[in-house]
This record gives sequence, C-alpha cells and structure tokens, in this order.
Amino acid sequence: MKLNEIRSKIDKVDRELLVLLHERMGLSLRTKRFKKSVADPEREAALLARGERMGLDLVEPSFTRQLLQTILTESKRLQEEDRPIVAFQGEHGAYGEVAARQLVPGGAYIPCLEFVDVFHGVEDGELDLGVVPVENSLEGAVTQVNDLLTDTQLKVTGEAKIPVRHCLLAAEVGDYRDLRQVYSHPQALAQCREFLMRHRLEPVPYYDTAGAAKMIARENPSAAGAIASALCAELYDLEIIKEGVEDGPSNTTRFLLLSREGFNGRGDKTSVVFATRHEAGRLFEVLRLFAEAGINLTRIASMPLRQDPDNYCFFLDFEGDEGDDKVASVLSQMESLTITLKRLGSYPGNGK
Amino acid sequence: MKDLKLASNGRGRRTVVHVGDVNFGEGFCVIAGPCSVENERQTLETATAVKKAGADMLRGGAFKPRSSPYSFQGLGLEGLKILDLARKETGLPVVTEVIDPRDVSWVAEFADVLQIGTRNMQNFALLKEVGRVDTPVLLKRGMYSTLEEWLNCAEYILSEGNPNVILCERGIRTFERYTRNTLDLSAVPAMRELTHLPVVVDPTHSTGRISLVGPMSLAALTAGADGIMVEVHCRPQEALCDADQALTPEQFGQMMSKIRPLQHFLAAVPETLRPT
Repeated sequence: MKLNEIRSKIDKVDRELLVLLHERMGLSLRTKRFKKSVADPEREAALLARGERMGLDLVEPSFTRQLLQTILTESKRLQEEDRPIVAFQGEHGAYGEVAARQLVPGGAYIPCLEFVDVFHGVEDGELDLGVVPVENSLEGAVTQVNDLLTDTQLKVTGEAKIPVRHCLLAAEVGDYRDLRQVYSHPQALAQCREFLMRHRLEPVPYYDTAGAAKMIARENPSAAGAIASALCAELYDLEIIKEGVEDGPSNTTRFLLLSREGFNGRGDKTSVVFATRHEAGRLFEVLRLFAEAGINLTRIASMPLRQDPDNYCFFLDFEGDEGDDKVASVLSQMESLTITLKRLGSYPGNGK
Repeated sequence: MKDLKLASNGRGRRTVVHVGDVNFGEGFCVIAGPCSVENERQTLETATAVKKAGADMLRGGAFKPRSSPYSFQGLGLEGLKILDLARKETGLPVVTEVIDPRDVSWVAEFADVLQIGTRNMQNFALLKEVGRVDTPVLLKRGMYSTLEEWLNCAEYILSEGNPNVILCERGIRTFERYTRNTLDLSAVPAMRELTHLPVVVDPTHSTGRISLVGPMSLAALTAGADGIMVEVHCRPQEALCDADQALTPEQFGQMMSKIRPLQHFLAAVPETLRPT
C-alpha cells in the first residue's frame, strides 16, 4: 500500500473510533438513572483491569490504562452535566435526531432501536424525553407511533415540522464520478428515483437512511454512496456530494416531543385521541362541538382499534390550550359523547 | 455546407434557447463573472456586483482546461457548489465549463448551461455526452476551426437530441501578437446566414486586453450578436487565472452603461435601417 492509501485507512479507523466513543458516551449517560452517584470505584477498577488484560501488543497496558482513564473521566463529567436525555428511533443522524436537536437544544440524543423503546424508556424514567414522528406529508401517518400514542401515559409537550432534505453522501468528495450504487431506505430511494437515473446510479435498499450512512462510513464499500440527512455527514465524517436530491416537492415530517409531565405554560395546540360508539352521527356530534366553538382543527386521522378492528379511534389536533375556556368546555362535553377520550396535552406549535 | 441537417435547417425560425428567464436569441444577453471560482467570498462578491450592473447570467470555472498541468485546475465539485450558492443568492443562472464526459451529468445538476471550451470543441465524446442531456450548451469555436467545423460540432450535439445550443465566437489564432487571439466578428453575421442557432461573443479571451473589451462588446451588439460573455473579477490582481484580462465591477458597470442604451437605440431603429 502506498502512503495515501495507508493514511486513508487510518482516517477511516479514526472516524470509527470517534463514532464508537460517541456511542459509548451515550450508553454511559443512560447508566446515571440507575446509580446513586456518578462515581462507582468498583466498576471503574474492574473496567480498567479488563482493558489491561487484553493482550494487544501494539497497545501497551500502561497506555490502555491511561486511555480508559481519560475516557472514564470525560464520561463522568458528561454525566454530571445533567443534560436532558432525549430518545429517538433509528441511528445517529436520523431525521428523528434532527427533530430532537431542534426541540431540545443542548440535550443528549440517544438512539433507540424501535419506537416502543422510546415510549417505554421515557415512561419507565430511564430516559427523560422522547421524539417520535407522527406523520409525513408524502407517506402519511406513521402507524406504529399513532398506535403507541393511544396506549401511552406520556404527554405531548412540543412539536417540530422537519423538512426532509435528502443528501447524497460519500466517503470522499473525489469519489462522485465513480459512484455506482447508492444505499438508503426504500422510501428515500423512491423519492430520489429520477436523480439516481440521471447519474446512472443503482439504488440499493437498506433498512435505514442513517444506517446506510453509518455503514458507508465504516465499511467504505467501493463506488458506493448513501442518501441520508446532512446531519449524517457531520456525524459520520462523510462528504455531501449534493443536498436536496429528492425529485419532487420537499416533504416534511411532523415530530412530537413526549414527556412524563405535561407542558408547563400555555400551549397553542392540543392533541387528543378518542373513540365513539359505532353509530351514525357520533363522530359528527363531536366535531360539531369544535365547529360551533370556532376551534380550528389542524389534524384528524382515524385508526382501527387494536382490540376491536371494526371500530376506530380518532386523533384530533386543534388550536388552543386545554386551559382555555372554550376548549375546556368542548372537552368536557366530549366526555359524554365518547367511549374513550385521552388528552395527550397542550403544547407550543412548531417553531416556538 | 453539406450535411448540416439540424444545425442549418431552422425551418425559417431562429432558435431561442431558454435559460430560466433569459432567452438567447431575443434581446442581448450579458454573461459576466470570474474566470475561475476561487472561493465562496470572491464568487459571491463578483456575482452580486455583476448582477447589480445588469448582467443576465453568471459565468465561473470549476474545471479549468489549463495549458500547463501545474496551473490551478479548478475547485471541481466544491466550485460547482459555490456557483450553486451564488445562483441562490443572486438569482442569476449559471454557465460553467465541463471538460470530462464523466462530469456532464453532475455539472448539469449544478449549472444551467454547460460550456464546451475552445480546446474541446472537437472532443466528440464530450459533444455526444452533452447532446444526451437537456441542459443548454454553450459551444465555443475552436481557436483554429473553420465555421464549417464549428457547425459540425453543433450538429453532433443536436443529433444526440439536445436542441439547445448557443454558439460563442471567442477569437481565432492568427499571426498577430498584440491581441491574444483575433476576434472574428464576421462570424456573427456569417453564422446568421448559416444557422438558426443563437451566437454570442467573448470579447475577453479573444482580445486579451481590458481596453478592447468595451469597443468589441459594442461592436458585437451592432453586428447582431445575441449576447456577450465577459470576464469580471472583484479583485483582478488576485485572480488565479487571466488576471490581466478581467474587468473590475466598476469597469463592467461603465461598459454596461453604454451597451444597454445602444441596445435600446438599435431596437428602436426601423427594420429597414438596422445594421443587421
């Protein structure tokens, strides 16, 4: 291998080291909830001893001890910082993280495998806040999340409308001419179909957009790129070949911020989920309350009830706060018109 | 000239190449900008200045066909992104040179017009490649090419399916040393006879002298050219190429203050009395 090649491989390893370190810091932040105090001398000693036991001849035990000690010190410092732990679904760089960063600046953003992990993590107190997508302007409602909202005890304390701006990412900027394959989630690939055709790029489906970016950065498959968010370029040290490669009008995903406690203050939007008896006019009676009170609805979606698929529950978002007189009046009237009514909470609208 | 099935036969109409709101073939289109894209600040400053002075389009090189391999070769993809940014900031459409057939689809992604440089006029692989996209092409005349050779190259592009070709006269090589090339203005009315495609003139690279850019631009307008392409740099002494040919924004502004009135004057002249 020539010098350039070797250095390129070294850069790749360094990049991977930092990504792993980031992951490690995320994990250690999660331990805080389970410990009485941040420092745990027994655990630290065991951790250092284990590191030294590994017989890596180019990484001497004394160096290992030094390195792990530095990492431990930083990890403890981060835990002391007391940042809110905000969970999102996916990998680092996912649009959920973009939303989390907007909703909770200065937080610690923790990826979860599934949406249910986000909900349970916040419900159980292991995580402080959760960010989940409810609908996308092109693809429609995110069914899994809406389903989880019907059962949860969590409150909605914020929302963010994130424009989904797909970027073509590659490990090196000079690579763009040699690109042949592009990895991403099938939905993202479909949204960029014409762009890919123009440059004779082969779409390769992958489970996740950020996951594709992470894989490209780690494995550097030759002639391959990914379609993901611009945040992924930052987090995985990838080059953005072009931003905004989607074919059609940009699409937006609406995310909700979930918390164990409701929003403290007056919100300008409220979300509820309710179910009515399966009889003609029942839904109309409920909606009439809003119309007559002059309350503007911003979202209505229906979903079959899990326990009773012939019946539906309805998600309703509208302007106003639960504490407003006319809203409070409508909601209390709704109690008698519905079988179930869950108030998800009132919160500030997007961008506030 | 035989066999110019597409370049010669306009069916009695002159082709108008639409680039956003700019129409080559109608009025007089002024393209201005630096020789190369050097950095964001330089490009944005120059773009803003030329827009203010009344330019219709921005030029800037991301890929430079330098005579020497050791000269600045251009910023490549970074340069394209800067041009894209300048376009967003000023609203000016962008023309930039493409050298490598493999770059065509990518440059077309970032620019509104693809330029084929004088040294690449007969790069047939490149001509075919730009013929396969829809993006308008600015085809510069080869510095030692006849009009027939030039039109045949346009024919290459048209025959691949891209009807949007703008021709650009940029001077031809002669024995004269005072000017960098010899601007062949006769090519403008000659091409009007031979083809339906719009023709513009580059007074910068042809003369190689700042003092001659103004007079030749006015002459191009009077000769019936559809536009000009002029090099402008916010600080020519710092330019990485063509430092002694580029106009400052002030000089460009002064030139434009003569061109637009002349353009309107000529447009008002009754058709029977017009020079072309």
